[in-house]
Amino acid sequence: MGKVEGSFTVEDMKNVQINIGAVVKEEDEWDQPMGPFPNPSIATLRDWDFKLTDRYRIYYNPICDRCTLCTYGPCDLTGNKRGACGITQEAHQGKIVLLAVLIGCCAHCAHGRHLYHWVLEKYGDMPFDMGPQILVDAPLTRTICGIKPKTIKDFGPVLSYIEEEVAQLLACCHTGQEASYKDFDSKALHAGMLDSLGKEVSDMIQIIAYDMPRGDPDAPLVEIGMGTLDQSKAIFITYGHNVAGAAESIFYAEDNNLWDQVDIGGVCCTAIDNTRIGEGLGHPTIKKNIGTKSKVAGAMGWWRKMVRAGVMDCVMVDEQCVYCDVLEECSAIKVPVIASNEKILLGLVDRTNDPADEIVDDLVNYRVPGVIVLDPIKAGEVGIRTAIAVKPKRTEAQANIFLTEEEFKKHVESCTQCNTCAFVCPPHIRIARAMEEAAEGNLEPFSSTYEICVGCRRCEQVCPQDIPILKCYAYANQEYIKNQKFKMRAGRGPVLDTEIRIVGAPLCLGTIPGIIALVGCANYPNGTKECYDIAREFARRGYIVVTTGCMAMDMSLYTDEEGRTIWEEFPGAFDGGNVCNIGSCVSNAHAHGAGIKVATIYAGRNERANYDDIADYVLNKVGVCGIAWGAMSQKAASIATGFNRLGVPVVVEPHGVMYRRAYLGRTDVKEDWELIDARDGSKVYCEPAPEHLLYVAETKEEAMLMLAKLCIRPSDNSSGRMIKLTHYCDINMKYFGQMPPDWPIYVRSAGDLPLVYKEKMMKELEEKYGWKIDWKRKKILEGPIRPAEVAFDPTNIERKIRVRK
Amino acid sequence: MAEEIVLDMSPMYEGERVRKEEIWVEMGGPKANGFELVVSAEMDEVDDGKVTVKGPDLSEIEEGSTIPFGLIYKVAGELIETDLEAIIERRDHELLSYVHGLMHLNQRDTIWMRASKDLKKAGATSFENIMTGVMKLFKAELPFIEKMEVTVLTTQEAVTEGLEQAHVIYNTRDERAKGLHDDEVDVFYGCTLCQSFAPTSACCVTPDRPSLCGAISWFDGRAAAKVDPEGPQFPIPKEGLIDEITGEYESINKMVEERSGGEYNRMAMYTFFEAPHTSCGCFETIGFYLPEVDGIGIVDRDFTSPTPNGLPFSTMAGQAGGGKQVIGFLGMGILYYFSSKFIQADGGWRRIVWMPEHLKERVKEGIDEDMLNKIATEADATDINALKKFLLNVDHPVVDGVTRPVDDKQITEGWTLEDPSEFEAEVIAYIEESGGDLDVDVIKEKLLMSEGQFMQVVEYLQDEGILE
Repeated sequence: MGKVEGSFTVEDMKNVQINIGAVVKEEDEWDQPMGPFPNPSIATLRDWDFKLTDRYRIYYNPICDRCTLCTYGPCDLTGNKRGACGITQEAHQGKIVLLAVLIGCCAHCAHGRHLYHWVLEKYGDMPFDMGPQILVDAPLTRTICGIKPKTIKDFGPVLSYIEEEVAQLLACCHTGQEASYKDFDSKALHAGMLDSLGKEVSDMIQIIAYDMPRGDPDAPLVEIGMGTLDQSKAIFITYGHNVAGAAESIFYAEDNNLWDQVDIGGVCCTAIDNTRIGEGLGHPTIKKNIGTKSKVAGAMGWWRKMVRAGVMDCVMVDEQCVYCDVLEECSAIKVPVIASNEKILLGLVDRTNDPADEIVDDLVNYRVPGVIVLDPIKAGEVGIRTAIAVKPKRTEAQANIFLTEEEFKKHVESCTQCNTCAFVCPPHIRIARAMEEAAEGNLEPFSSTYEICVGCRRCEQVCPQDIPILKCYAYANQEYIKNQKFKMRAGRGPVLDTEIRIVGAPLCLGTIPGIIALVGCANYPNGTKECYDIAREFARRGYIVVTTGCMAMDMSLYTDEEGRTIWEEFPGAFDGGNVCNIGSCVSNAHAHGAGIKVATIYAGRNERANYDDIADYVLNKVGVCGIAWGAMSQKAASIATGFNRLGVPVVVEPHGVMYRRAYLGRTDVKEDWELIDARDGSKVYCEPAPEHLLYVAETKEEAMLMLAKLCIRPSDNSSGRMIKLTHYCDINMKYFGQMPPDWPIYVRSAGDLPLVYKEKMMKELEEKYGWKIDWKRKKILEGPIRPAEVAFDPTNIERKIRVRK
Repeated sequence: MAEEIVLDMSPMYEGERVRKEEIWVEMGGPKANGFELVVSAEMDEVDDGKVTVKGPDLSEIEEGSTIPFGLIYKVAGELIETDLEAIIERRDHELLSYVHGLMHLNQRDTIWMRASKDLKKAGATSFENIMTGVMKLFKAELPFIEKMEVTVLTTQEAVTEGLEQAHVIYNTRDERAKGLHDDEVDVFYGCTLCQSFAPTSACCVTPDRPSLCGAISWFDGRAAAKVDPEGPQFPIPKEGLIDEITGEYESINKMVEERSGGEYNRMAMYTFFEAPHTSCGCFETIGFYLPEVDGIGIVDRDFTSPTPNGLPFSTMAGQAGGGKQVIGFLGMGILYYFSSKFIQADGGWRRIVWMPEHLKERVKEGIDEDMLNKIATEADATDINALKKFLLNVDHPVVDGVTRPVDDKQITEGWTLEDPSEFEAEVIAYIEESGGDLDVDVIKEKLLMSEGQFMQVVEYLQDEGILE
């Protein structure tokens, strides 16, 4: 060791910066050996899926128990009857679940595919560089495909892989293909995994191309809410998920100095992605922080309320989660619509190849209600110019946006209190009561239920009096609309490797009891406020709270006692007691990525083409749990299923039963909870942790309780288990006034017991459960399912056994 | 005796701030004296569960006022010894923070507490309401505490007197902790706390070598092993010395073999190079060997730029972490830098060539005085060339060879050239240019060579007959 090798070559390298690390990186592509399952196909990870579904049993909730997919049908599948093709009820439900997951997966993957082509066309290939603090830079791509992308083009084969798998999976849904429900569910899990991969590709491409933050805990605070849109300017709304066209509108406004004439607002995930532009490592053409000039109008659930609040002059839709009556609703208030993506064409005429002047002229003079412009650059230009030019022409329409006092009075008085509306309202708002109170001059019920309303318009459709109920809501909430001004942290992107290293030990010691991921939209009863409450409860308890998409937008609409939004109240790192907005829907992939990174960075596992191993690690060791509180789309189905395959449990709100399937553990079946100790291959009966993989909770309180419980993992050490059990018991005490009945099954030793309840619990264990206690040493001698052993290395995978007994 | 009431206690209240306008009573802090102290006593000297308030109690204090404050806990138990006092005392922050409406910051004689009006609303009237619950928490967490009582001081006189006693004890403890070395104990502690995430990591914690994560000192290990000897922290008898200098013991080797599941079978405490300590996943800093200068650099998590070898913390941590033993990289806790046995086999501080400025500032006290100015930071060097230049300029020991202080043995030869002929032209050019008037500083600056390296070339040239 004393010899200095290499110090003499300095002279030869006079003009070369000695940068050993970089040289090593260049020479050695990836020193990690290829794992067993690169680009897994349908059957490759089936064993893993069966391990999951043998333990977390599949429960179907048929929304419809007939099959009408082929001309044999309709086939009644109730009472163990089989369809004409021979399919069972379970298999048919499994098929529908698979279809839903595939739809979601395709939405994300096709989004990525569009961006891939567009970005290469616009900018050419670009290096894939996530910055100095992220080395495990595309964790899902590495884990699933076994490759390490170096440029955007390297994601091409990843997309092709997903597309091939999707075609194979969709083929399985044809009549006379797959027959087993378990296999349908394994296929759904496969599609869920592909979904996570498609999301990663989409977000990585846009992060690079649009210079979005590479995991910035201090990403800027941007403006959110209808009230932030400056009504003295023209307002251009970009609505959907694909930032391509919206980004061009921002560049157009900037390049032409139009910010004093136009405000750009976003709805749904495009809104989030707009605000991320230009906040990364720097870009050859994009100005620093330009994205912060755009505003977030709101989440998808606010769309119809925005229409009735008259906060827009021109709308550009791109793709995903766009209401199908967007054209009719906009036409009614004289707002021109631009369809900018092939996925939503609305029956309009394709004007992509026409000069922008002509398109703008036609729109501004209302010769057409909308146009298709598939070139993002032209769509951006047309959008901004139309918004500015059409604004003066909309004066009259705008003046009639809100009902007059008389009209409002007339409508509310015409209500007959039949309550038909309340029955069809997803959140069951007592609209008739609001009408009755309003007739007497009290608008409070209209204000207090404004946020709860999801804007579905079912009430208006069934109202025998034809009352424009949403307009009544808008009338009663004009002040709120004007003042809906909040801050949201711009989506920060992936979790930094250094953050994983910092939280590794606390996650393992339990001082950070878990990771709670709030994903999807918050479109059901009180979902917006409740996602805020849930995030805050867990951040205050020291959990790592991550969120994305509409949930992140919706939880921005509230403030604490000091007037701070959740982003001002909590810092934005991936750390205990922080709330981090990871980004848009596709950024959810970074939540998967964080789980993978704990395994690779903290525990040194090889992730390359090693999906089941990593999923097994996450399932047994990483206390992470997802929650979708009011999600409505098939994308939410695929997101949740993708989390599930990676070993992450998910809690959904009651409407989640309409996803038709739950994965529930059976604590009464001991055999279901047998794990392998990887040290010597011995089999160990464990406590049921995590108890479920996909659980429908009825209330916010139950959801919080379940989230705390589902962060429990077999490998928790005593301090970790103690903290996790403390929160589980605490939440139960706080919201239900009693201890959860199943706490004893999670106790392995006295060290696992929450300090506050320890003495009482030990007494109860002795008296009620017959456990043996050594009171002098305060030790549990007999009783637990298994003893606590910190070196226990739980796994479900035989090949992980190190030395066989 | 105060009326018994149940206060809301939970770890979720740790970090709870009581704002100015919510203050019921403020204790200690910047405006008044305050301290906390744990002392051990014999079993018959402690009246278990007793709370004595010396001075006005909570309900007798004017709302919004700041008072001097002292807490003296007396603990007793079969396993309790003086060394555990500090460990118990350190729990005071967390356990007092469990109480909803009570804020506790800092430690020892800097404590700053606030009771909020919420606590009053919850029915608290006496310190007894709070301390009874808190002492239960202490006993629940540390079962070796068999008896515990507390005296709460709320007058200036009592606090001043208590502080004097506390300072004597703090000082004694600090001296003991500083002065305690591996040679003086007969047991080390193993820790596998992070095995639930990193299954082959097996830490050995000694007085001279605290854990890499920074969370466990020898005293912590001792306390934890007493709480639960079969738990994640366990005693390792100091037996079977193999090498005093590298700190290799048979008992530690055996522990590593067992606890790493057979992955490793040797682990030495004070060295970088042969069978170094396993690196978990959460070490505070990482050391990295720089072959070009035969020295060791150190970097911590907060320094995110690349180090002189071109690699940032994250890359190196990725290579060494996860419970592995990787020669050339070593995870280390910050406290290790204050240890007198800090990589003593490799030359200790004489072998350290680079560290981030803020880290250097933080551990300044631990660095050998004569080395303080010889260790480069990012302000001096961000690549190997600049680092070489810096080390030449400051006459860093690695340049001419390191003699390790522990046994005065020279362990490195200093910088040498493998093939002096490669530098022939350059040296001749310099000699001609200088007209034979050689200047060591110029050689260092221009040729990036040590005097020894230069002389190597000169000797070569003489041997070849090129120079006379």
